[in-house]
Amino acid sequence: MLPTTNQHLETHPVAEMYADEYKSGQLSRREFLVRSTALGVSAAAAYSMIGLSPALADAHMVTPPMGGSLRIQMEVRALKDPRTYDWSQMANVSRGILEYLVESRADGTFAGVLLEGWEANEDASQYTLRVRQGVKFNNGDDFTAEDVAANFRGWCDATVEGNSMAARMGALVDPETNQAREGGIEVVDDHTVVITYPGSDITLIAGIADYPSAVQYRDLIGTNVLDHGVGTGAYRVTDYEVGVSARLEKNPDHEYWGTAYLDEVVFIDLGQDPAAWFAGAEAGEFDMTYETVGEFVDLFSAIGWTQSEVVTAATVVIRPNQNNAPYDNVMVRKAIQLAVDPQVCLDLGINGQGIVAEHHHVCPIHPEYAELTPLTVDKDAAAAMLAESGHADHVFEIVSIDDDYRRNTTDAVAAQLRDAGFTVERTVIPGSTFWNDWTTYPFSSTNWNHRELGVIVLNLAYRSGVAWNEFGYANPEFDALLDQANGIADADARREIMAQIQQILQDDAVTLQPYWRSLFRHYREGVLNAEMHPKFEVNIHYLGVEA
Amino acid sequence: MAFFILRRVGVMALTALCLTFVVFFLTNLYPNLEKLAKTQGNARMTDAEVASWIDRNGYGGPMILRYGEWLGVVPGWLREDPVNGEWRGRCLERGQTPEEAPRYCGLLQGDLGFSTVSDDEVANIIGGRLQLTGILMFWAFAVMVPSALLVGVLAGMKEGSRMDRSLSTLAIGSTATPEYVSGVIFIVLLASSTAGLSPILSELGWIDGRTLFLGSARSAMEDGINFWNFTLPVMTIALYGMGYIARMTRASMAEVMTAQYIRTARLKGVSFRNIVLKHALRNALIAPFTVIMLQFPWLLTGVVIVETLFNYNGFGWTLVQAASNNDIELLLACSIVAVFVVLVTQLISDIGYVFLNPRIRIS
Repeated sequence: MLPTTNQHLETHPVAEMYADEYKSGQLSRREFLVRSTALGVSAAAAYSMIGLSPALADAHMVTPPMGGSLRIQMEVRALKDPRTYDWSQMANVSRGILEYLVESRADGTFAGVLLEGWEANEDASQYTLRVRQGVKFNNGDDFTAEDVAANFRGWCDATVEGNSMAARMGALVDPETNQAREGGIEVVDDHTVVITYPGSDITLIAGIADYPSAVQYRDLIGTNVLDHGVGTGAYRVTDYEVGVSARLEKNPDHEYWGTAYLDEVVFIDLGQDPAAWFAGAEAGEFDMTYETVGEFVDLFSAIGWTQSEVVTAATVVIRPNQNNAPYDNVMVRKAIQLAVDPQVCLDLGINGQGIVAEHHHVCPIHPEYAELTPLTVDKDAAAAMLAESGHADHVFEIVSIDDDYRRNTTDAVAAQLRDAGFTVERTVIPGSTFWNDWTTYPFSSTNWNHRELGVIVLNLAYRSGVAWNEFGYANPEFDALLDQANGIADADARREIMAQIQQILQDDAVTLQPYWRSLFRHYREGVLNAEMHPKFEVNIHYLGVEA
Repeated sequence: MAFFILRRVGVMALTALCLTFVVFFLTNLYPNLEKLAKTQGNARMTDAEVASWIDRNGYGGPMILRYGEWLGVVPGWLREDPVNGEWRGRCLERGQTPEEAPRYCGLLQGDLGFSTVSDDEVANIIGGRLQLTGILMFWAFAVMVPSALLVGVLAGMKEGSRMDRSLSTLAIGSTATPEYVSGVIFIVLLASSTAGLSPILSELGWIDGRTLFLGSARSAMEDGINFWNFTLPVMTIALYGMGYIARMTRASMAEVMTAQYIRTARLKGVSFRNIVLKHALRNALIAPFTVIMLQFPWLLTGVVIVETLFNYNGFGWTLVQAASNNDIELLLACSIVAVFVVLVTQLISDIGYVFLNPRIRIS
């Protein structure tokens, strides 16, 4: 059984407004769904508000037969405190045991998993979370509002190194104590938790649907699930060898609240080289890939595997760091932007598997995306601007990781800069050491994953002084506008601000951000519900194989 | 003889000590610790968080003391969490207090330490991996040594003959092709369903599966080895070493064949077959014996490439994993194993030499 959302709101005043916007053509269906479900309206109700059949919502999900075994090719990394997960692969293994309050679906909607539903108040500063009843941990205890509150307190603990949930909790974290704000998390009864922000926050639901927000038992927050195996999910880990494989089987001693189909799931790690994955596929060593990249997309299709594609807000930025000369000079950055044609990066970097972007890191599939005037590419103007800035003889060293698409895209940028008369040097660093200094390289490329709202990544990476600000970007005007945008639940009002924000990012030439990637996955015939997810999620409870 | 072996063991201990110190020094350079912190903590930690992680997990403090901790001559580090009062330390299991745990836990106490990348005790990992590599090496030797000796003897029987020239070309070709070239060629030719021989054979109906051989040896670890999944990795390793041993055997054989006693035997009217088998062979095999023993250390480097290429999770693959993740204690354990293998095979080679060649004495 897929998680039902029957206790969701039937409607919400803001959602009604979105529905009108959708009908008048101001919102796309996807945008409408993201926003209205984030407010607590059920996906079914949201679909009906805009006159579509709710059956569309999960038309791509089928009910698999019970039983079977599935092998998934995916990196098997050492697990740790879920709050510090930095790879979706970790969560894909632990998701069989540690479930989430909310999940984001491939179509952009949010659905409750351990929550039955949630409502936001009118200005999105207070959320009432209704905890699913009848859920048990596999240690026999009931899952209650206390567990939810304990997890929220854990997520808000900014003193834990590498706890990326603290950033997602935003103003719920008290900057004085680095813990949850007093009175921010309130347990009303066994099945209700109220989250109160000091101001508006529209990212809460997206934040608790993200992969580091795995829900743990109330006394085991911050532990590695492999050490104790306690969770609400239907599976248990039987073998776990990092870099080799992980095996999960249905836990016979646990009564799962939903339905899980497969008896056994094995994650097989074939290393980082897609050629090895392909050799493994030819040797019949697995049934489904975690992700298929680059030229291997066509190769996997050629050997008869089913292809699944999803357009996402995943991207690559090739950014100068403004703390390093000459990139503190806006004219240099502007010249770089003028010299690079995003279409070329898209074609050479990822075989055209995606859509062109506009250097401001807000994607057309984001609800608040504002359309700006198209960018121009002018190599002569770029050269002139570079000469005018006085850095014409600077040697531009561009660093990238040694990996297929990121390296190719960076090469495409370097080639175009050379065409425009820049002196460019390329440095390729192996993946094992690249991330040591990823925020401080003077000029380098970084991949960014899909996020549900445009403001999320801006808050994570472009705000002055935040940990992931690899651009060295600090603009008080931008920060102020971003604060403003964070507080506006209303779509069009926020888009007006976003137009300004996007414009500022373009005018300051903060980064090159040439395209949005489509993501691909392949699976063998007979594998069910294995469609690609914009955030690489694999929920083994949903998967199945044809009998 | 006993003194000789004892001295060799001493050399081995000393070599292992030096080598592990070098490895320890290199893996404990700050940028490497930073890498470790980021793979263990979070790939995108800030510098302050990295410093705190390094200190909290016992990687702070003077390097020589930490090397002593690893050796087991300095007490393991201990640290009390200032927030919840929990003790953490090198020798502590989860939830143990310092009183319950031993003070020393290093190599001398038989504790190889903890592998950060595998999140498990090194001792639990390295045994199984070595066994897998042992199987691979056994088969590689089983193919390589007989075929190399055969090629070498055949080529060396009559120096300059047509057979000598063609076999020598073959041997030089195989030893000039490194594993990472031959392995890829094998995969493309024999293990791809879209290129090489497999599509043709499959169309003709000569093979049941999609490919002639498997380009991945992973199934060999779980379902056991068979001709289908193990041929390519074994051939890739064997081919490289084969050419070298064959060349050495040929040179030795050719030299023996020009010796006076061979001429005497021939003048006496002994058949060529008997000259080769009864008179030349034993003397010709002394030099290749050393070369064959020397192939063990060479194979240790060969398996690094082959195991990674064919996804066979043995010792070589573990070494790559440990190095690319800066897994300090796993790397140290790998170094000890490598030193052990190299010196033990050399010891066997030296002792074996005495039995093969009575003119040599070692003590």
